[in-house]
Amino acid sequence: MNLVKPGTAELSVDARPTPTPDGTEPVAEAREPFTHDRPPAFFTLDHGTATLAGALVGRVDERWRLLAATALPAGGSPDALAALLVDRFRSADPARAAAMAGGPGRRTRKGTRPPPAWPRLAASSVPAETLAIIAATERTRARLEDAAVGAGWNVVAGSAERTDPLELTRLATRPGVVALLVGVADPPDVEERDLAAELAVAAAGIAARRPGLRIFLAGPVPAAPLLDAWGAPVVARLPAPTGAPGDLADSALRAALASARSGPDDSRRALAAAAGSLARVLSLRVEILEIGVAGAARVVALPAPADDGGVAATVHLVEVPDAALFRMDHPGSIDRVDHWFTQGLDRARLRDRLAELAIAPWSDIDGDGALLRGAALRAAVERLLAATDPVLGVGGVDLVIGAGGAWSAVPAPAAAHVVADVVRRPGAVQAAIDHARLLGPLGTIADDAERDAVLADLVDDLLLPLGTIVMPRGLRPNRAAGHLYLDAGGARTEVELVAGGLTLVDLPPGVTGTAELAFRGTPELGPHGRRFRVAVSGGLAGLLLDLRDIPLRLPERADRRRELLGTWERALWPEHDA
Amino acid sequence: MTDAIELVPARALLVPRPRIRLELQPGDRVTAMVGDVVRAGEVVAERIRDPRLVEAPVPRAGVDQGTPLPGTWLPGEHARAGRRVGAPAGELLFEHGGRRRLATGPHPDRLHAPADGYVLEVEAGVALVLQIDGPGLVATELLGEPHSGRLIVMPEDADPRIVLDVALAGAVIVLQGRVDAEALARARAMGIHGAVVGSLADRERRDLAASSARQQAGLHRLAPFGALVLGGYLRRPLSAAVRAVLDAASGSVVGLVGDPPLLLIPADRELPLPEPDRVVVRGGLEAGSEGRWLGPAGIRRLRGGITAETGLVALDDGRTLAIPIGELERFAVPVSSG
Repeated sequence: MNLVKPGTAELSVDARPTPTPDGTEPVAEAREPFTHDRPPAFFTLDHGTATLAGALVGRVDERWRLLAATALPAGGSPDALAALLVDRFRSADPARAAAMAGGPGRRTRKGTRPPPAWPRLAASSVPAETLAIIAATERTRARLEDAAVGAGWNVVAGSAERTDPLELTRLATRPGVVALLVGVADPPDVEERDLAAELAVAAAGIAARRPGLRIFLAGPVPAAPLLDAWGAPVVARLPAPTGAPGDLADSALRAALASARSGPDDSRRALAAAAGSLARVLSLRVEILEIGVAGAARVVALPAPADDGGVAATVHLVEVPDAALFRMDHPGSIDRVDHWFTQGLDRARLRDRLAELAIAPWSDIDGDGALLRGAALRAAVERLLAATDPVLGVGGVDLVIGAGGAWSAVPAPAAAHVVADVVRRPGAVQAAIDHARLLGPLGTIADDAERDAVLADLVDDLLLPLGTIVMPRGLRPNRAAGHLYLDAGGARTEVELVAGGLTLVDLPPGVTGTAELAFRGTPELGPHGRRFRVAVSGGLAGLLLDLRDIPLRLPERADRRRELLGTWERALWPEHDA
Repeated sequence: MTDAIELVPARALLVPRPRIRLELQPGDRVTAMVGDVVRAGEVVAERIRDPRLVEAPVPRAGVDQGTPLPGTWLPGEHARAGRRVGAPAGELLFEHGGRRRLATGPHPDRLHAPADGYVLEVEAGVALVLQIDGPGLVATELLGEPHSGRLIVMPEDADPRIVLDVALAGAVIVLQGRVDAEALARARAMGIHGAVVGSLADRERRDLAASSARQQAGLHRLAPFGALVLGGYLRRPLSAAVRAVLDAASGSVVGLVGDPPLLLIPADRELPLPEPDRVVVRGGLEAGSEGRWLGPAGIRRLRGGITAETGLVALDDGRTLAIPIGELERFAVPVSSG
């Protein structure tokens, strides 16, 4: 994948680490944990709630390359998936496959060949578990709730200020609750100080009813009643909530709750590690929008010069269970899907179809089922951005990556359209998809240097380039806005710009170039100006000139809105009427 | 090329000897004890309909036999003239500052065992866990309350508005055709203990829940009623494997439970097991069709430009088609939950 840094010189993507003075590559050293016997290949497995995605990565010309990848509904066998990948590789390149496997492989009686015993890198995402929160005051409850939701928990919460002890006990013992968080502010105010002791006793009562319930104490909640409680519950002390409610800056409490929720192979945390590696390897500001059936996450990784002269990266991850693809339990969720859906469907039927997809995410995969997924994906990304913008900001990034099965359920150009519709920020951004679901498994490699090295090898393969989206703000709608001059692949293309629409310019994957934009007014494209020069890279959608409003304004009337959305959709998804 | 049917996601059809949970709330009183053998229909707990919080002073030293733990059911205390009113009987939430917080309330309802088994665990105010003797047919959701009754399979084309009859009181009926909340509410009003349906639209579910809530609020409640949904929200025919199990269980006393959602079948019933290479199409143009898995058919381009892994299926109607693997499912060999 050829990526460029908009507004700067083109980045060389051959970002392999420099050979060390003794002539060896640090890449080989870094891979040691899963290449003890120097296996020629490894599998990656991403166990999602809806999807089991697998890939075969092998050494070709002394580099790791993606050899095969596919995805199946969750519930399929990983061994069968691995065998399918190897079969596919054998069919494509029998000689190399035989050389890698040390022979053609023995067939079983049924005529099948088991996959070679190559190492497997696995990541898994599990549905968000439910955490019950009981706090002394409403203010503390809100802060605890913010931290827990940002850490990926489903939350039920109450405060002693508003809720009686019976209701708090019922809340914490309802089916599905796996952990209890009891919190007060630090330092507590007078009211909280009085309530803290009672909360601790109430928590001990809950613990006695629910043996095995994990209990977290945040702030100065006395632990003594819990330590004396029947069944000796496991109690963990976490940092006190900080900041004002709604002020979601990275907090120690959120990090601690995230660690408490997920295991070492958690795919969303692994995505954060992989995003950091991508930022370092590509020296680009990377944003990952991960949408799953049971949860969602947004990762922003920003490169910065390191003390040793290399590139470091700061990474921020926020999980948003409410942005799960088919989660429709919030008021207005259905309306937003309906807002984006280009097919007329009555509300009850739409609700049923979405509920059915939540149970069987792979059913109705083609036809208008794909369009419905596209609409649900837009609504989910909207929820994700709305929940995370206060934390992560709306600052520009260089590369937006769609991760999770939802992005692969629509054709690649349609995925670019989703990004353009929902991520409304003035500027130029490249878009790509984690098509082989490699980022999660690769993110489980614990050592940063090792992970960076593997990603550097695989960077051409692991992202499916969608193209570049150029999105100015401040144009007067339905008027001639200026001209675009694109220099790419040795040719110069001129395009007249008309504000209010989407213009698609052919720019194939692997091609980079420079776009000069000459506007009649002074729109915002990062800075305000009349003339801009932007480095662009190609993809399956090409160069997308999005001259629509920011934020996007659509007709109120449903039929007109559908017609307009359908027009844009057909431009990027011509087969969608098939 | 491998012919691995393991690529097709497997769904459990039957769970042998399942472990089920009957939900309780603080204030509910469990009458069964751990290890007790229970029969379908036996009372195992009393549920408080409208629990409320009561605060009472901790009695003077020596009144309690030891220190009661949270979740303990405490008997009522008589009022003591001139000093304080007596505390009602209730479940102890916790003690703090010299006062007890109790959950109590009037109008207990009886909770019945939905099937034969024994009491495995009692989590006071949380759940009663039973180990069931027979197998359970896997469903997706129970709307309403656990119950039991004689299983009657209604004809596939039966209209619930016509076939429901007071003669079915006490039974659990299987409705294979279109079902709405009105039909289920009528069934409950006729004393039918429960219904098993293939699918139920969201609107019908909400109507049924609202109807149940009104029942809950009423002083004179009707008997509990459960609607067990075997599939999802969109209407699909029951698969042959599920129909075969229901036919085999017909006439026996079955139970409906929601955690996990199961139709509990007596242990003495012989049930057919699913064929290993049989697959069901659950979505797309062929939704509801069934057939035999022949093997993977590779990645194919589908309607709308979507690409997906497909499998070759010999459908029962004689056609052989490449169908997206995501739209297929098969029934797995039963595995014990307990």
